[in-house]
Amino acid sequence: MNIKMTSLLLIATVFVGMNTQTALAKDIFYYIGYGMVQVVDGDTDAIVADIPVDGWLRASQFSADKKFLYVLAKRHLIHKIDLAKNQVVSTIDVNGGGWDRFMYGFELGADGKSAFVTILARSTKNGEAVVAAPILAQIDLERGHILRSIEVPWGSATLVSVKNASSIYVVGKDIVKVDVSGEEMKVIGTYPMFEKQWNILPFWSYTAENGGVFMANYYTPELMGLVSIDTNTGEITDMPLDGPPVFAYSVIRSPDKKKAYAVMDELTVIDLETRSYGPIVPIPEGTCYAINVSSDGKKIYVSGGGSTTTVFAAESLKPIKVLQMETDGMDFKRLTF
Amino acid sequence: MKRKRPIQALNEKARAIQSLAEGEDKSVTALQDGPPPMPVGCTTIFDTGWETNPRPTYPVGNCMASARDFHGCAGDCWWPAQVPDGLTNHEDFDKQCPNVVRDWRLLKFD
Repeated sequence: MNIKMTSLLLIATVFVGMNTQTALAKDIFYYIGYGMVQVVDGDTDAIVADIPVDGWLRASQFSADKKFLYVLAKRHLIHKIDLAKNQVVSTIDVNGGGWDRFMYGFELGADGKSAFVTILARSTKNGEAVVAAPILAQIDLERGHILRSIEVPWGSATLVSVKNASSIYVVGKDIVKVDVSGEEMKVIGTYPMFEKQWNILPFWSYTAENGGVFMANYYTPELMGLVSIDTNTGEITDMPLDGPPVFAYSVIRSPDKKKAYAVMDELTVIDLETRSYGPIVPIPEGTCYAINVSSDGKKIYVSGGGSTTTVFAAESLKPIKVLQMETDGMDFKRLTF
Repeated sequence: MKRKRPIQALNEKARAIQSLAEGEDKSVTALQDGPPPMPVGCTTIFDTGWETNPRPTYPVGNCMASARDFHGCAGDCWWPAQVPDGLTNHEDFDKQCPNVVRDWRLLKFD
């Protein structure tokens, strides 16, 4: 066999392998609802399982091995859901010791046994309310105990784990970078947003779906922009967009990285190469908080807020299916195998 | 002779009521003055006016329909006067009414 033939066979093998990998890619979506997580099959876009969960649900994250989903409930519970059994297998409560604690933001630690959360805590002393300063805390996922903590600014809302959880970026009025690799957590820098008049609501995080890039939209008095955090490098990128701002709760990047999709009352396409808005289509069902995209980029899902999930064809931007969910919802996350 | 007070104010709220009776001091503080008194149990961040949508044309205003935003506001207590406060007084409100459009007739909170 000559070198040319060997090369052709090698290329063919690579292509077959790629096609097989594509064909095998399987999307499962998780609808983060109220007292319930619903599972949607990405091939059929049908609801295939209901997972009863106590409480109103907020931040969530899949474990690195894709076997579990951690979800915050009522701001003080963390449920661990076994995705093979589709059931809650453990719950921890961070309240205790006379303190009510409210968690905002959730990022699993590198060890998989702990997690980082921002906490606002309140108690009473001699009949008076006592409100503690907000903290970034690392908590034990077995018992919910706080292992260590550091004070963070008021308004700290969302966490982004950077460089394999060696740093945590705390997104609030500004982005505060905290080194968590040593024995004590240390603030190592701040990316200013408040002074630039940015207004941001970064509650929807699609870092995994975006290939390791956290992305959120922000507003100034003049425009909407996208702020991104590359979780592999820690780099923060600001992309102001041309034109009058659209209104969006959340954004996600298309798999080819050329576009972003934003959602609120409409589904908006953003051209990331020209930094401008593309088509804007209304969502017949109404306002949605959450957005996601199939791993092949062919379908866009808008969901949450109200109790619907609308599936759009990415190319035509026509709605192709509406799922009536059991409850209202907060988020719609994708897991791809 | 000075009259003895029949009751004594023991906590901040009671003292505030007492100070009202005696001539009010400053009782309202702008949130931007910084903590305290950032109200824990109410909005936790800083995006006041997110939904005061300044679009000049339809749709002007808040979420459509407003019911789709109800639970999002209730749980985290964004608008505690208008929706149940999910952090303090109505933590399990969602159990009565997990789907606002379908279940609103079941509402029982006061």
